[in-house]
Amino acid sequence: MKHASLHAALKTASALAIIAGLAVLALPNYWVFLITAVFIVGVALQSLGLVTGRTGMISLCQMSFAGVGAWVTGYLNVAEFPGGLVVWVLVGGLAAVPVGVVIGLPALRLRGINLAIVTLGFAAAFDTVLATITFPGQTSFTQVARPAPFESDKGYFLFIMLVYGLIAVALEFVNRSRLGASWLAVRHSERAAAAHGVSIAHAKLSAFAISAFIAGISGGLLAGYLGTLVAENFNMMQSLVLFAVATMVGAHFTLGAIAGGLMITLFPELLRRVGLPQDVGNVFFAVGAVQALSSGETMSETWGRLGSKLLPRRAGKTSAKPPPPLAAPSVHAQGLALEVNGLTVRYGNVIALDKVSLAVPARTVVGLIGPNGAGKSTTVDAIAGFLPRYEGSIKLAGRPLEGLSATARAKAGIRRTWQTTRIAPELTVGEYMRLAAAGIKPGEIEAVLEWFDCPSPETVIATVDAGTRRLIDVAGVVAARPPVLLLDEPAAGQSYAEALKLGERIAAVPEKFGSAVLLIEHDMDLVRRACSAITVFDFGRLIAQGTPQAALGSAIVQKAYMGIEPEERVA
Amino acid sequence: MNSLLASAVAGLSAGGAYAILGVCAVFTYRLVAVVNFTGAAIGAAGTFVMVTLYESGYPLAIGVPAGIAAGALVATWIGIVMTTWFAGASASTKAAVTAALLVGIIAVGLRLTGGQHPHSFPELVTGSAFRFAGVEVTRASLLTLAIAVVFTLVTEQFLARTRTGLQLRALSLRPMAAELIGIRVRLLALCVWAVVGAVTSFALMVIAPLRSPDFMSLSLLVVPALAAALIGAFTSFRAALIGGLMIGIIEGVASGLDTFSQYRGAIPFLVILAVLLWSQRGARWDEAR
Repeated sequence: MKHASLHAALKTASALAIIAGLAVLALPNYWVFLITAVFIVGVALQSLGLVTGRTGMISLCQMSFAGVGAWVTGYLNVAEFPGGLVVWVLVGGLAAVPVGVVIGLPALRLRGINLAIVTLGFAAAFDTVLATITFPGQTSFTQVARPAPFESDKGYFLFIMLVYGLIAVALEFVNRSRLGASWLAVRHSERAAAAHGVSIAHAKLSAFAISAFIAGISGGLLAGYLGTLVAENFNMMQSLVLFAVATMVGAHFTLGAIAGGLMITLFPELLRRVGLPQDVGNVFFAVGAVQALSSGETMSETWGRLGSKLLPRRAGKTSAKPPPPLAAPSVHAQGLALEVNGLTVRYGNVIALDKVSLAVPARTVVGLIGPNGAGKSTTVDAIAGFLPRYEGSIKLAGRPLEGLSATARAKAGIRRTWQTTRIAPELTVGEYMRLAAAGIKPGEIEAVLEWFDCPSPETVIATVDAGTRRLIDVAGVVAARPPVLLLDEPAAGQSYAEALKLGERIAAVPEKFGSAVLLIEHDMDLVRRACSAITVFDFGRLIAQGTPQAALGSAIVQKAYMGIEPEERVA
Repeated sequence: MNSLLASAVAGLSAGGAYAILGVCAVFTYRLVAVVNFTGAAIGAAGTFVMVTLYESGYPLAIGVPAGIAAGALVATWIGIVMTTWFAGASASTKAAVTAALLVGIIAVGLRLTGGQHPHSFPELVTGSAFRFAGVEVTRASLLTLAIAVVFTLVTEQFLARTRTGLQLRALSLRPMAAELIGIRVRLLALCVWAVVGAVTSFALMVIAPLRSPDFMSLSLLVVPALAAALIGAFTSFRAALIGGLMIGIIEGVASGLDTFSQYRGAIPFLVILAVLLWSQRGARWDEAR
């Protein structure tokens, strides 16, 4: 995967170098000056792409963050702070970080719309403040000094390209890291991300902090570009336009950020030349954004899709050498891996679970079965920490879990899957595996995928069918090798033959990976094949417990689960 | 002390307008499940239709109803966009759509109204209603207050007691199920949009003379409006009503204090921040399965 990041980073860097070289050699000064703005806006768009495109949080104050960076840059310029523009821009970016974190705080537990309102409110507030305090040097017309080797317009263009390239390359690496995958996971499903041990607060705040930093840098760069700034450069309308354009083009893609920069910068120029009023551009951006939102596909994705149709697909590299064997099983504590005692869960007046107890010994597979509504998934939710309150005790290897968040429980070693797949479709299989199993080695990823018959690590999840995604779900949590695995109907959506095979795999998990498994399943053949003990629930009560034969054979289970009356059985 | 009271009372008319806009935001969210960033822009469109007619010599008796109708029309148009392409979309996608539409509406609005070009805004209601502790209370502020209260109470009663109100509640909770039992979902949703457009247009007409009356400033009144709606957690009309009034009064008091007067535009933001930090004390998760 390091390899893929490096590959993408090199591609981006060389493409930018070619554009920079061509522009400086071939274009007249005026156009070079204009294109410089494209990449400054591109930096701002990348910052918005990170927080809105990747993490799915609507930010309507990105230009305010840029304004913070620009103001600090202007201040340091007037104060003749040592180090020149490079240092000032960096400090400006850093100054935007705490602002971004404060704005991000209200989004930690509430989603989407609230953040949009906070950010719009901040943009309005920042407008008033900026109009009052004005930019340092604005009244005395003090120009922000450019760094010595890049003073000319062409020189400054190269400087901007350099910064843009650095940010783009850094983002290629971050986006392919576990942090980048956790942003996509949070956007897709916060529950699923927490179940992988991702701290939602950390993921959201880091996205906001990095985004504010990059936006702050874009503001500082703009200060060096224009020399003097006015509050209008960063007002709320600019932020809204940036949002519309980012939504339209998909600013979290490298191509999208540049295309968006081109539109914002060159569209007014184009309109001016054909004699149309320049604000027509904003109407176009608004329509484009609504179109992208309704089709669920940004321009970058459309171009990517059409491009991949036109270009012949390179044959997937089939590695000649077989994947390495699975690593030795993890060693977890002996005794009871998971112990649930007197668990009671109420939803209002409904008692979903009534003093149920169950135990999963280390390195065994225990089945949990029962008719619909028996409380099986509620049990999993309680164990994994997704219920606001429950009574009773849940212990992981003797250690009580009460008071721990879902993320903390996942980190402590309780991992779960969901009844429907919750993998962010933009991830590749390999990225998902690294999200699920932090710190896993590339060879181990291939080995686990091979063992479960999953697609290769480069495959994008969106191209994988639903049944296989369920399999990847299981492979991910198994690869994390936690002491306890909770599998919620892993065979739903699988064919009979696939389900049997999955059953064999699950039965072998304790031996191969060292984990204990609590398996919820309706497929009785799979349960018989995989489990060494079974617990049966009905209407929130425990009705039977024991070996598969004994539990499934008992009259009360036959009646509750199969609907067979005892006398029918005799007859 | 008296000057503080005077500035608080001065904030009352703005507060009344925020309250109407806030209640409309809750109305839109509860009934058609959209957090509407174009709320104030719709009203601005209606207001400017009225002003244009007034400037071309038509009497207010024609201008005001025409402006209200225009606001309703713009809102219905947004409703058509939302119901045609975003009926099944998530709340945050719909919010993103209205944010994008806001960009377009402001661009068109600024173009048609000549940007910052000054317009002569007629005062629909003039003069002072009464003096309270030596402070003039204007008729305009009483009118906005009255509209806000009446709209809140009528809406609450309408939703709780009429058959259409019941259908609207069904529509907002489960649009698909409502459609399946034969409720004319789209028609109802468009009616909601039209009502919102009409009410916000009238509210903005009343307070426009008190504001820097260009299209953009009026459109951006959506910020205090959404802050008020947040105080009502997008569910309670009464809390949004009180929240809007409070924001107006705090703004009024702040403009009376020299040190803060220039920063009063930041007040809605501080209110939003405080409300959100308070309301997220407990952990919440996205939908269960």
